[in-house]
Amino acid sequence: MNALVALCHFCELHGPRTLFCTEAVHPPSPSPPQPGSAIPGDRDREADREGEGLTMRANSSATQRADMCEGCRSLPASHPGFVSVDSETGIRYLSHQHPRQPQLFSVVRQACVRSLSCEVCPGREGPIFFGDEQHGFVFSHTFFIKDSLARGFQRWYSIVVVAMDRIYLINSWPFLLRHLRQTIQSLQDTALKVFDNEQCVCPQRAVRMNSAFSPAVFPHQRSGNAARSLTSLTQHSNLWASLHSSFSWLLKACGSRLTEKLLEGAPTEDTLVLIERQTEQEEEMSGWDCAEGGGSNPQPSQSESVQPKDFQFDDGRQEDLLGPKFKSLRHLRQVLGANDFRQLAWHVLMGNQVIWRGADPGLIQSAFNVLKALLPVGCVRAVSYSPHYEEAYRCNFLGLSPDVPIPAHVSSSEFSMLVDVLNVERGCVNPVSDDDILSLYQFNISSANTQPTDKGPTLLNKIEVALSNENLSVEVVSLCLLCLKEEWMNKVKVLFKFSKVDGRGKEDTQKVLACA
Amino acid sequence: RGPIMLFHLFNFMTCVSLSFSWASSEFDLAQIRLIVCQECERRGRQVLFDSKAIHKLDASEPNPIVTNSSEKEKPPTYQYTRPASDVNMLGEMMFGSVSMSYKGSTLKIHHIRSPPQLMVSKVFSTRFGSSTSGSTNMYESCFLSSAICSHSNPVDMPSRGHSEDGDSGIARSASLSSLLATPLPSPGSSFSSGCASSYQRRWLRSQATSLQHGPMPRWNTEEMFSLSDESCSSNPAMIRRKKIAISIIISLPEREEENHNFQEFFFSHFPLFESHMNKLKTAIERAMIVCRRIAESSQRVQVYLCRVMEALGEFRMTVWNLYMAPLISEPVWLSMISQSTERNLLCQRFLKEMSLLMDHGAKSQFLSALLTAVLTHHLAWVPTVMPSSLPPIKTACQKPASQTVDLLAKSHPYNPLWAQLGDLYGALGSPVRVCRTVVVGCRRELVQRVLYILSYFIRCSDLQEHVQPQGQMENPDNPTNPCSSQTTDPTPEKTFPPKPDPLKPTACVIEKALNPESVPGTSVEQNNDTLLTDTKSTNPSSSLESSTVRLECAEMGQECFGEDSDSVGGGLEHILANQSPLLHRVQFHIGSPRETENEGQAGDLSGAGCGRGLDRKLHQRLLTDIRRNESTDSALGDSDDEETSLQELYMATEQKEYELPLPSYHVESRASVNHFGRSLLGGYCPQYMPDFALHGISSDLRLKQCLMSDLEHTVLHPALDEPVAEALCIVADTDRLSVQVVTSQRRVCEGGRLGRDVMVSNLVHTLITSALQLYALNIASDFCVMHLEDRLQELYFKSRSLAEYLRGQTRVHVKELGLALGIESSDIPLLAAVASTHSPFVAQILL
Repeated sequence: MNALVALCHFCELHGPRTLFCTEAVHPPSPSPPQPGSAIPGDRDREADREGEGLTMRANSSATQRADMCEGCRSLPASHPGFVSVDSETGIRYLSHQHPRQPQLFSVVRQACVRSLSCEVCPGREGPIFFGDEQHGFVFSHTFFIKDSLARGFQRWYSIVVVAMDRIYLINSWPFLLRHLRQTIQSLQDTALKVFDNEQCVCPQRAVRMNSAFSPAVFPHQRSGNAARSLTSLTQHSNLWASLHSSFSWLLKACGSRLTEKLLEGAPTEDTLVLIERQTEQEEEMSGWDCAEGGGSNPQPSQSESVQPKDFQFDDGRQEDLLGPKFKSLRHLRQVLGANDFRQLAWHVLMGNQVIWRGADPGLIQSAFNVLKALLPVGCVRAVSYSPHYEEAYRCNFLGLSPDVPIPAHVSSSEFSMLVDVLNVERGCVNPVSDDDILSLYQFNISSANTQPTDKGPTLLNKIEVALSNENLSVEVVSLCLLCLKEEWMNKVKVLFKFSKVDGRGKEDTQKVLACA
Repeated sequence: RGPIMLFHLFNFMTCVSLSFSWASSEFDLAQIRLIVCQECERRGRQVLFDSKAIHKLDASEPNPIVTNSSEKEKPPTYQYTRPASDVNMLGEMMFGSVSMSYKGSTLKIHHIRSPPQLMVSKVFSTRFGSSTSGSTNMYESCFLSSAICSHSNPVDMPSRGHSEDGDSGIARSASLSSLLATPLPSPGSSFSSGCASSYQRRWLRSQATSLQHGPMPRWNTEEMFSLSDESCSSNPAMIRRKKIAISIIISLPEREEENHNFQEFFFSHFPLFESHMNKLKTAIERAMIVCRRIAESSQRVQVYLCRVMEALGEFRMTVWNLYMAPLISEPVWLSMISQSTERNLLCQRFLKEMSLLMDHGAKSQFLSALLTAVLTHHLAWVPTVMPSSLPPIKTACQKPASQTVDLLAKSHPYNPLWAQLGDLYGALGSPVRVCRTVVVGCRRELVQRVLYILSYFIRCSDLQEHVQPQGQMENPDNPTNPCSSQTTDPTPEKTFPPKPDPLKPTACVIEKALNPESVPGTSVEQNNDTLLTDTKSTNPSSSLESSTVRLECAEMGQECFGEDSDSVGGGLEHILANQSPLLHRVQFHIGSPRETENEGQAGDLSGAGCGRGLDRKLHQRLLTDIRRNESTDSALGDSDDEETSLQELYMATEQKEYELPLPSYHVESRASVNHFGRSLLGGYCPQYMPDFALHGISSDLRLKQCLMSDLEHTVLHPALDEPVAEALCIVADTDRLSVQVVTSQRRVCEGGRLGRDVMVSNLVHTLITSALQLYALNIASDFCVMHLEDRLQELYFKSRSLAEYLRGQTRVHVKELGLALGIESSDIPLLAAVASTHSPFVAQILL
């Protein structure tokens, strides 16, 4: 809980004192706020001091060490205090006589003084909540502890829980009351036994009745009596260590009293596929360890090993290869021209095999990288550069070196297309900028497809609109693509569920498609 | 047709109208008592109002006071009797025995044991206008003796807003909402998780309420009690040291269980109670100001009593409603995420009800309009569709639970109840807006159907409670019991491993360490002495380790933050510096000149002295870019020697703490009962209620009377405990099949209507149509609901495109959006609102 707990005592000689304080120190924030964010309410020093009030100020000077007696002290000055660490969260619970965090010192002091000498509780024992924005908010429980030597045979204490979160502190009232009562009861019971024992040995009432009252002796006596510590009142030598444990526990338990169950959206299809792949890979890896010399080793250099982190573009490898590259779909479109791009994109979306043949593997790979964005991750099987033809069931993106022949069944198929990347003969040997791909290469597109590619699908039309609008940044285009892909994936899910799972007729399928 | 109708009705009864309410027995209105007291330096304490001492006079009795009988509706007349005997004691509790000079408002809660009562008090400093200062004596005089008080001061221009100049909503929202607006990273860029905005909101809350930053007055510190319409700023000398306390005393039920239930309800719903107390306070202020204008004394008393009694009546009614009103027994969303077994059934019911409603309001597109409004303003659905990077859990709506938020809650606790309240009111966007939905209609089952459907779209997180089981509370080894070993014989076998037992090794050794006499031969005592005089040459841990005490280095610099620092001071400083920019408040915090003197003389070893040294270092090293405060520098004292010696003392005393294990504890987890997801989704209620995120009523008569002032009040005193820029209410009329949005910002609407009609978003319309078509084609209902979620996710993706498109732009035409992104104008308000949850800058460009 974002709070601290302190045990306070109203010393007969020195007034209200903080005896023992347990605070929670949180680990550094997991997410530092962005620079430039300012928190309002820069505090006004004047207002701060004014808030202290006359009583407060008079008392705050009384923290002088010379002014302390046994009753005002918990741990000896040399004691280092206690710490407990919550290993799960890294929160450290620290106990000392006074709070370690300097900004909390006056807050606790205020709480202590108010709980023991300002606020009024009927019957003097019981819970009160009080506070304001300036001094923090306090749940206080006052109580008496028996002391055979004290005036009225009892001493007055309070346990305060201080927090800035007013609402949470009030929300926690029933919880805090329940548990602090337990703690207080335990202290009172223990002290009562000690009291009873002491009274048996030496009944104080009788002593006091018999001793002649003398004004000269009285104050001296009193001051001597005032010096009893809570440890001596309870005869509990580990009292402070135990209280540290109790208070730390209270802070932890109160902070985790309520938890939220907060749901996120389902992961995108792409994420799901990647999670699946990763699991498979991990399983395979462990499989390899067992099976020695398994027959056909997959070729990781060719098959795309996609990591969830960077599935959209695996820039890492692309950087390795020198030479010009396609930077984005829009760039590709500019280079190929609207018509050729349309054809190319059409084949990609239709799931046909797209073969690029040329001497520059870097260029071809960059083309595949940008084209991949058109498809769901699960639909991408790329062999970025191969010395021989690979069948369509193995890959829908295939890069080939210039001299690799395309089998006849492929070149005559309407389900494939070929982009030949040809070097442009040029006299000039000036280093050419990467942007200027056309000055280096020429692209020949061929396919046996006879269907018109300029009509649909709607998805492609929408993609083209986004790509052709120069006002849209690359980021906007990629988000638009994401929208479109998700939209279409959702349609596909419905269609799949409808036709495959439930096995319906064509008419109903049309209806479903109309509404999805 | 009859049987079918009956079947529908039966079905409906089982799923919808089994509403429940909190109280098992009647909650008596007279159990709520109001006392207004004042305290001033000269004359001490006076009672200005006590509802227990006021009696309503029967109208049939001849009334000597009110003579004007020509009025048609006579206000009730009241008589004041002797004040109750407990008033003095209560006054003492309200103000405390020592007067505080703090100027802002103070909140107090007392528990009175017999008769069992809870007392909530707010104590305000008073504020006078320059011309009417010093005249409060008229209230107590008119209240206490009805004596003629000649003072009367008519003020001509009563303007409510004017008297609140110090804390106008605008000033407030400018401060914190701008803070809330800036630090959001765009999701995906720095968060892999979809819950970026939920996470951010919660993180900011944990920071804003963190104790580690010290007290940070947020936004209602200057709240005062106005005794005049005028601003006091013209004559500050006239401010008197006078305080007014407003106390609400609630008698607790006699029966133990009811008492317990009410208290649990009261404390978990405190923000709502407080908000209504603020409303009451405003009414009392008004009553005092208004009655002062009346010259005739007996009439003045009546006006005063009448007004305050009326406000109290309203308060009582609201509290009663909050506690007694029927609630939706099975809110669809919360049920779906909590009960995995009945999910299919729930989906089925939900779709059935939705298709019935769709058919019912088909012509006017009632459902589409309503959902457009609800999805635009109750924005908590957005995080629930933002794609996660985690695989889904089959049992929970195919959605994964947020792990980042879970981790945050553990390491940086915030109030889950607060988060839930914000969710329900849809306060996720930027600037912060809060929204409620009221469904009006005389056909009960139709209204309930609408409520049921909306309980799917108005979302919030589900709360779990972790408490000690009853039996364990009494267990002597319970961690809350510090004297366990003293009170009972420790038994060797325990079912729970609770607190460290002093008889177990660690504690035992510590005992030795603490009492060196008991262990002859240890060097602890000497060691302590050495530490005091010379920190650097001593290694305390080595000698202590010899006695097997495990010493834990408390230097956070080394341990927690991986920073090698040579002193604890450095470590602490490092933490402070690492925490957040909130840090800079520290510099104004400690060390008034007087304190400096005192502590300098005393050579105190305590935190204050060290803090000051630290503070100074912070000031010098870290705060150069922060607004310098000259007085801070001078206040810190100018003796460097003093500083260094303090620093040394600090280092000397703050050594390494003894580490004790954190007591483990056994808790029982159960679904929380007292949370807003349960209490603010109302059923078909007898009366309009200002708190509910959703509820139904039969007539909008009272709604029309109260709504505008309720919305204004929400902006001024939001129950959310965070500044709010705008309060909205969606009013869905099932009789007229109309949906309107009422806002706190627009007072006048054309044709005397409450709000503006909602433009149906085409995206929302196709989304519902699509899901319902699938349902009509007999596709499994859980698939249809999943499809609905997919389509909602599409809305989120579209909002991201929109946000990205708007990034860096200043003005964008609607037409342009249509061309560039294919966004229709009807969808823009919705998409912009969704975008504002993850990209706050959208608000500045579009809204």
